[in-house]
Amino acid sequence: MSPSNVPSGVFSGYQPLADAYDETFAATGEPRAEVADVIAEIEQLGPAELAKRRKLANGAFLRSGITFTVYGEQQAGIERIFPFDLIPRVIDANAWAPIERGLEQRVQALDLFLADVYGEQRILTEGIIPRELVEGSAGYLPAMRGIRPHSDVHIHIAGIDLIRKPDGSFAVLEDNVRTPSGVSYVLENRAVMKRVLSEVFTRTPVRAVDQYPARLRDALTELAPTSGPLGANPDGDPVVVVLTPGRFNSAYFEHSFLARRMGCSLVEASDLVVHDDTVWVKDTSGLRRVHVIYRRVDDDFIDPEVFREDSLLGVPGLVRAYARGNVTVANALGNGVADDKAIYPFVPEMIRFYLSEEPVLGQIETFLCARDDDRKRVLDDLGRMVVKAVDASGGYGMLMGPQASQAELEEFAGRIKANPRGYIAQPLIELSTCPTWIDGQLVPRRVDLRPYIVRGKSSWVLPSGLSRVALVEGSYVVNSSQGGGSKDTWVLGDSDGGRARGQTQQQSQAGQQQESNQS
Amino acid sequence: MISRVAESCFWLHRYIERADNTARLLRVNRSFVLDVPLPAKNRWRPVIVVSGEEKRFTERFSVDAMSDSQKVQHYLTWDEDNPVSIVSSIRWARENARTIREVISVEMWEVLNDLWHWLRTGPGPALYGEDRDEFYQWIQSQNALFQGLCQNTVLHEQPFDFMHLGMLLERAGQSARIIDVEHHALGDLTSSGTAESAPEAAHWLALLHMCSAYEPFFKRNRRAPHGGAVIAFLVLEPRFPRSVLYCLDQAWNYLRRVGASTGRGGEVESAPLLADLVASMHTQSRKELLSAGVHQELTRVIDATTAICEAISDDYFNPTFSALS
Repeated sequence: MSPSNVPSGVFSGYQPLADAYDETFAATGEPRAEVADVIAEIEQLGPAELAKRRKLANGAFLRSGITFTVYGEQQAGIERIFPFDLIPRVIDANAWAPIERGLEQRVQALDLFLADVYGEQRILTEGIIPRELVEGSAGYLPAMRGIRPHSDVHIHIAGIDLIRKPDGSFAVLEDNVRTPSGVSYVLENRAVMKRVLSEVFTRTPVRAVDQYPARLRDALTELAPTSGPLGANPDGDPVVVVLTPGRFNSAYFEHSFLARRMGCSLVEASDLVVHDDTVWVKDTSGLRRVHVIYRRVDDDFIDPEVFREDSLLGVPGLVRAYARGNVTVANALGNGVADDKAIYPFVPEMIRFYLSEEPVLGQIETFLCARDDDRKRVLDDLGRMVVKAVDASGGYGMLMGPQASQAELEEFAGRIKANPRGYIAQPLIELSTCPTWIDGQLVPRRVDLRPYIVRGKSSWVLPSGLSRVALVEGSYVVNSSQGGGSKDTWVLGDSDGGRARGQTQQQSQAGQQQESNQS
Repeated sequence: MISRVAESCFWLHRYIERADNTARLLRVNRSFVLDVPLPAKNRWRPVIVVSGEEKRFTERFSVDAMSDSQKVQHYLTWDEDNPVSIVSSIRWARENARTIREVISVEMWEVLNDLWHWLRTGPGPALYGEDRDEFYQWIQSQNALFQGLCQNTVLHEQPFDFMHLGMLLERAGQSARIIDVEHHALGDLTSSGTAESAPEAAHWLALLHMCSAYEPFFKRNRRAPHGGAVIAFLVLEPRFPRSVLYCLDQAWNYLRRVGASTGRGGEVESAPLLADLVASMHTQSRKELLSAGVHQELTRVIDATTAICEAISDDYFNPTFSALS
C-alpha cells in the first residue's frame, strides 16, 4: 500500500519548511513511513473528490452551529465557525505511547504539587521552588490552605499543550489545569471526519474518541461526596452539573455540548443555592442536592463571599460547602498556581521531587523575568524571544519577538520592567508543520497539540487531542482567538487494528528512552 | 428539570405565541379597515389597546398617532423599544431558545434562528414594503412550523409541558383581550337575533378572523353572525382551539402533568387557582356570560390568568427552602 515514490496529485508540490519538523513528509519529500498508509488513502481520493469532501465538512460545521465567540470585536459576542482543515494530523502508536505516559506522570506531579502547596508545603521548605514565586502567583489562593479535596484530586481535567521540535521530539509548552477547553472540537471534528472520509477510516486503525464524556462523568461521579445532609441522592446516583458563565462565554457551545453528552444538567450560578453548607440546584421538583460541579467559571468569580464581590457568575457560599467536603468542584479551586507560567520551569523538578522519576516529556527553556539575570538576558535579546504573561492564555498578552515592531518591543520591555513577576520568556521554537489546505493547495502550516487527561480515582488520556493550526503563513500562534484553525488528530492503534496493551507499554519504554536521549 | 430551563421553555412559547397573535391581528385589521368606513381614530386604536401598549405609544408619539396606520403597524412590527413588537418577541424567543439548546430540537432552533435572520437581515424588511399581507403570513407560517416541529421532535415530558403551558396561557389572555376590546367597540349584545347593520356585521367577522375562528364558527352557527353568538363561541366553545375555555382547559391538563412529574401537584399554589378558574367557566352558560357583563367576565379571566402565571413562577421557577419546609 505504501507508495514507493513521491506521491502525485493531492500532495504533489508539497514543500515542507526547511527549519521545522513536518508531521507528514521527511525532508527528502517522501511521506514518513508511519503515516504513509494514511497519505496513500487520502491521495487515492484525488484532488476533486477531496475538494468536495471539504465542502461537505464545512457545511456540517455551519449547520450544527459549532461556534466560538471572539472577544474584543466591535460588536459583542460574535459567533464564528472554528476553521477546520480536512487533512488529519496523524500520530502513530510508537510516538503516542511516551506522550501518554509523560502526560500522566506530569499531571500526577502537578496534582501532588497542589496538595503540597495547600498543605505541608514541603517543596517550599526544602527550597526546590522559591516560596515567593508560589505565594506571589495570582493563581495561588491562600484561602485554600488546609482544604483537601475528595481523594486529594485537584486536577480532574488537564489540557497540556505540546509542540514538536525540529528533531521530532514532543515537548510541553504549557500546562492548563484550571478550565482547559477545546475537547468538544476534538469530538465534533472526529464526527464530521468519519462522515466525509469514512472509507479512509475503515482501512486505518484510528483510535476512537467517543468515550470521553462517559470517562469524564465516571471520574466525576466516583469523587462525589457522601457527607452532608441527605447524604447520597435518594435516586442512587450523585447529581453532577456543568456550571457555565452563560451563553455569552466564548466556550458556551462546549459547556452545553459536554452537559448533553454526559447526560447532566447545564446550570448557571443563579440556578444554585447554598444552604447549610450544602449546594442545591433549583429544580421544578423543588431543591435538589448537588454533589459534583464541573465548573467552567474561573476561581475569581466562583464565590462572591470569598473572591470577587461583584461577581454575578458565582454562587455565594460555595467555598464553605467545598471546604466542608460537601461538594466536589472540578477542577479544584486554586489550581492556577500549578499552571502559572513562572512555575512551569520547575515542573521537571516537581516530577523528581514527588515521584522520584525522570520526566518522560521534555519542555522549553524558560527565562523568569522575576530573576535579575534572566530578565537582563530577556531584555537584551527581546527580538528573539517569545514573551508571555504568566497568568494569560488563549494567545492574549504575548509578544512574538522576531515578528514584533520596534515600538512593540519597547512597549513590552516597559511592561516587563514594571512587573517582572508577570512575565516569562522563551526562545522561539520552530513548531512542527502539517499539510494544510489553503487557497486550493496544500502548504505547510504550524501545529501544536493539546491532549486531554481525565483523572478520577485513576487517570486516563484521551487518545487524540486538539491539533490547532496557525492558518496564516509564517505564523506561530495557533489560538482560535488569533486566527487559528483545527485538525482532527488521529492516534493510530496497532496496524492490525488491535489495541494490544502489552505492546504499547513496551513501546512506551522504548519511546521514553528515545525521548530522554533527545532532551 | 432545572427551574431556569423550565422558565425559558415557558417563555419561549409565550413569545412565539405573542408574535403569531400580533401578526394575525395586524393582517386582519388591514383588511377590516378597508371594508368598514370607520372614523380614523377607531381604525387602529383597538390593535394598540389589545397589545397593552396604549400608554407607552401615546406617551412616545401622541393620541392622534393612533390614527396613523403606518405608524401603528411599524410600532407593533419593528419597534425594538416596544417589548411586544414582533421583532422583540422573536428576539426574546430566540434568546430563550439559545439558553436551552440542549432541550429543544435542532429543527426548532433552525426555524426560529432562520426567522430571526429573515427579519433582521434577510428578505423580511423588503417584503414588508412590497407585500405586507404576505409578510405577516410568512411570520405566521414559520410560527406554525415551529409549533408543529415542537409537537413532533421533542419528548412529550416536562419541558414540553412547560412550553405548552406558556403557549396556552398566553393564547387565553390574548383571546380574552381581543374579544374584550373589540366587543367594547360594538356595545350591546343582549339583543341577539336581530339583524345588525353592515358595518357591525363586518366587525364581528373581523373579530372571528382575528382569532382564526371564521370557518370553525360557521360549522357551529348557520346563521349570520351576531354579537352574542360570536362572543359565546370565542369564550366558551370547548372544541375550538383558540377559545378562552379551550386554552384554559388544556393549560390545566399540562399543569396537572407538571404536578405529577414533579411530585408537587398537591403543594403548589398555581394548581388550585387554575382549577377554580376552569371550573367556574365550565359551569357558566352562554346566557350567564352575556348577562353578567362580558367586560367584567373577561377582566376576571385576564386577571386570574396573570395571577396563575405568577403562581407558576413562584412554584416552579423560584423554589426556595421556606417553600419546601
